[in-house]
Amino acid sequence: MNEPSPTRVDTLDSKSAPVPLGQSFWLLSTLIWSGAWLTLAFLFSLLASIKFHGPGFLADTPWLTYGRLRPAHIHCLGYGFCLQAGLALTAWIFGRLGNVSLAQPLLARIATGTFNLGVALGVLGILKGDATGYEFFEAPRYAALIMFAGYLLLGLVIAVAFHRRSEPGLYVSQWFLLAALFWFPWIFSSAALLLLIFPGRGMAQSVIAWWYAENFQSVWMWLVGIAGIFYFVPKLTNRPLHSRHLTLFTFWSLLLFASWGGIPASAPVPSWLPSLSAAATMLSGLVILTFLLNLHHTLAGNYRQLWGDATLRFMAVGTAAFVVVAVAKIISALSPVAAVVDFTWFRYALGQLNGFGFLSMVLLGGAYYATARLPGFSISRTLAGAHFWLAFLGIVFAFLPLLFGGIIQGLKLQDPQVPFLNVANLTLHFLRLSTVGELLLLAGNALFLVNLAGALLRRARQQFALFRQEATRDLFAAAEAQR
Amino acid sequence: MSREPDITALPEPAEPRAENAPVPIWIFTVSFVALFWAMLYFDQRGAWFNPQVYAPYKSLSHLQSFQPPTGGPNLERGRSVYENVCALCHNTDGAGKPNQAPTFIGSEWVLGNPARLIRIPIHGLTGPITVKGESWNLNMAAMGAALSDEDLAAVLTYMRQSWGNKASPITEEQVKAVRAETGNRSQPWTADELKPFE
Amino acid sequence: MNRGPLIFLAAFLALSGSWYTYVVRPSMQLGRFQQTNMLGGSTLYPTARPGLAQQGLEVYRAQGCAYCHSQQVGQEGTRFQLLLTEAGTNTAEVATAVKKLAPQLAGTADPLASLPVAVYSGERRYDFEAASRTLNALGAKAVPQVVPYGADIARGWGKRRTIAEDFLFDSPTLPGSQRVGPDLASVGLRLPDPRWHLRHLYAPASEVKGSKMPPYRYLFETRRVARAPSPDALQLPREYAPPAGYEVVPTPDALALAAYLVSLRADAPLFSAPMTITSTAAPTADTNAPAGATATTPAPAINQ
Repeated sequence: MNEPSPTRVDTLDSKSAPVPLGQSFWLLSTLIWSGAWLTLAFLFSLLASIKFHGPGFLADTPWLTYGRLRPAHIHCLGYGFCLQAGLALTAWIFGRLGNVSLAQPLLARIATGTFNLGVALGVLGILKGDATGYEFFEAPRYAALIMFAGYLLLGLVIAVAFHRRSEPGLYVSQWFLLAALFWFPWIFSSAALLLLIFPGRGMAQSVIAWWYAENFQSVWMWLVGIAGIFYFVPKLTNRPLHSRHLTLFTFWSLLLFASWGGIPASAPVPSWLPSLSAAATMLSGLVILTFLLNLHHTLAGNYRQLWGDATLRFMAVGTAAFVVVAVAKIISALSPVAAVVDFTWFRYALGQLNGFGFLSMVLLGGAYYATARLPGFSISRTLAGAHFWLAFLGIVFAFLPLLFGGIIQGLKLQDPQVPFLNVANLTLHFLRLSTVGELLLLAGNALFLVNLAGALLRRARQQFALFRQEATRDLFAAAEAQR
Repeated sequence: MSREPDITALPEPAEPRAENAPVPIWIFTVSFVALFWAMLYFDQRGAWFNPQVYAPYKSLSHLQSFQPPTGGPNLERGRSVYENVCALCHNTDGAGKPNQAPTFIGSEWVLGNPARLIRIPIHGLTGPITVKGESWNLNMAAMGAALSDEDLAAVLTYMRQSWGNKASPITEEQVKAVRAETGNRSQPWTADELKPFE
Repeated sequence: MNRGPLIFLAAFLALSGSWYTYVVRPSMQLGRFQQTNMLGGSTLYPTARPGLAQQGLEVYRAQGCAYCHSQQVGQEGTRFQLLLTEAGTNTAEVATAVKKLAPQLAGTADPLASLPVAVYSGERRYDFEAASRTLNALGAKAVPQVVPYGADIARGWGKRRTIAEDFLFDSPTLPGSQRVGPDLASVGLRLPDPRWHLRHLYAPASEVKGSKMPPYRYLFETRRVARAPSPDALQLPREYAPPAGYEVVPTPDALALAAYLVSLRADAPLFSAPMTITSTAAPTADTNAPAGATATTPAPAINQ
């Protein structure tokens, strides 16, 4: 048995060269943009959640109707935050592991700007009523293409940085992030081509939309999330990752099996699609199995370490959410279970746990770690700590009640004697808890934005003061000389 | 916030590295069992990519076995059309309504020549008419004009084989033939005009 | 796994399987579906939705209705049912046969007392056909039926499961993924009156007591009554009606949406979704059907 001996590293290793200023600024500003979208996402989600308690709330504003707030929330969370912060951290991790920096920070900034323009147009388009109708792919064509262009440019810059790395060996996180970097354009372009530009006929569109949504949520998000956990946990606990081979197993089973899921059991499509999808989702249990095995041995069973460090706490919550999501997905892939939980809050809660509870928490932990070490910017650790607790409690209140509520809702709906309104009313109890959770999440995520933006502003003020001092130094010197 | 320690001054932990522990054999066993199970699952429910088979049907032959029995007149179809189109005036039990529509039960018009019967719903009926000894003098709209050939055949068959009536079924071809012969007509029939078809 | 290009190639191969199976294959298979024949005839199904309903689909999409309503009726199985409707003249023999074929009626004194009676109800076609032959030979009239069943069907949300052909000409297809509100795949069957939908959109609680659906008042216009009330004006109960002298008139969007909802039927019997058309009883009370709705089964529908 390979019991690793922990080695202490005290000095700044040459591999962790400081991030150059151009990239620092890019990283921080990209994360601030991500934070803005994250905050907006949960504002939309909170408003949507409140509507259940008072259906007339904001009902007379077409821009704020539930059917538009929900896709806007998912768009901001998935693209504005997860995709963008994922790219930012990809660049940072590649930089750290490969000892390379982004050679073209200007291009990176243009790319981020384009991307954010696309996201903004997307949100406006959705609220205006131009949403496409495909879940997770709601941005109208004009916005989606701009967003994609931004992604491509940024992806290219990051790929170039990867290619120019000075450290030839690859750590496991790099495999996952590379695969994610490459898979996203493929799924997005297929979806854009066959849904927005040359739409297929009838249900072919929905199959492609479901494929895209599943590959975005269960392949891309899992790739990036696992990469983050496998990077930060060994690094910050100072223990090597237990097995490279086991990680290879995780990587392959994720690519091969998780990409085949996503078709609901009672979808109006021939039975080969939902049955393949269910079988594949069951097989993706291998991913969570090998992932947990690896993590368990890496930590040598000592999970308490995860709670000690500020960044590792985010990873801990992310891992826990990942386990819940993976296990719940596998169980609910079975036909009899799917018949109960499909179309209930259970599915919605799983999606949110995946996107926010798992990936976003990992990205937030990584973001705090990366920005805290940017020279010249000072991130507040108190606010970061407050964010963690608000996020953790928010996840517990917002999503866990809906998991239970969804199961009960599903069971009641199976009984035709129970009137539909009774079922709808019983979900309200769970939705009340969920609204409280959404409020906590909004507060926490706003702190992220305030924290990072505050650091940028402080630096800007410092720089301005320095500049003013420099600029007026000659003036004062001259005045002194005169006297 | 300005009193928090500057993290950038602290040493950063080294980059992570991975060790080479082997993959336990049981993982492979579990994978093979899972793959085998998945193949069985698809074999049972996937209908091997057939585009016509939807759950809960397990295969094309399973789906075929559930096709409703055809052969013979589709009385259920006829009944459904009857209840939507004719029953309003002629009543669900075919007995008709006084001052509204005559009965179909034992009616010579229903049980008689198909050619005569088919013409009535297609164009309507107006003027005096004797049904089972009773005189009627009302207007019937062309209630069957919008029906397809098979729907009209089904409903007329239903009328001829329900409520004690026992007559031969009406086929789609007969309806088609009548429509072809009377294509240009737009006026409702009168009893006299239908005499040649008795 | 130390080279970028190698990882790229590996990922490409692994993921291309999924891309082929869920993008290429469905585009070729589902994307080339054509109209099919309805069972029992040569009527093609579906026909395209009428123009107003087509516009209604766009309104449905733009309001995000699919985030609360699904359009996917599920089905757990299909049952054969043999209904004895007329005993004919040979009543004694028919009664014996019925008692033998239907064990649940074996104890009753006169199984032919209240016709129609279900003589066979199960999923074995062989037994079903044997029962049918037996009864027909004795001169009785037995109606064969093929009846889908499932939780959604029992709830009145549809007569059978929805299949791809039901949405053949829709773009985009909006199957939905949540049932915050009832499933709408066959809403045109149980609520065929567009005016009901208009009133429900304006004030959901006026038609469904206790409904949590938000009111879509912005799809309507409240305006002064001109010389005569508009024929389109909604007839609302007092608590939801506009003040005296005003009327609530649907905008074209609302009218389109109502037309679309009324066009959602998904009840045609097809080869892929076999069933017998029966004039069934009124939908069960737990659907959104307004109280006192008469149950008339429309003529075989052409999803329009």
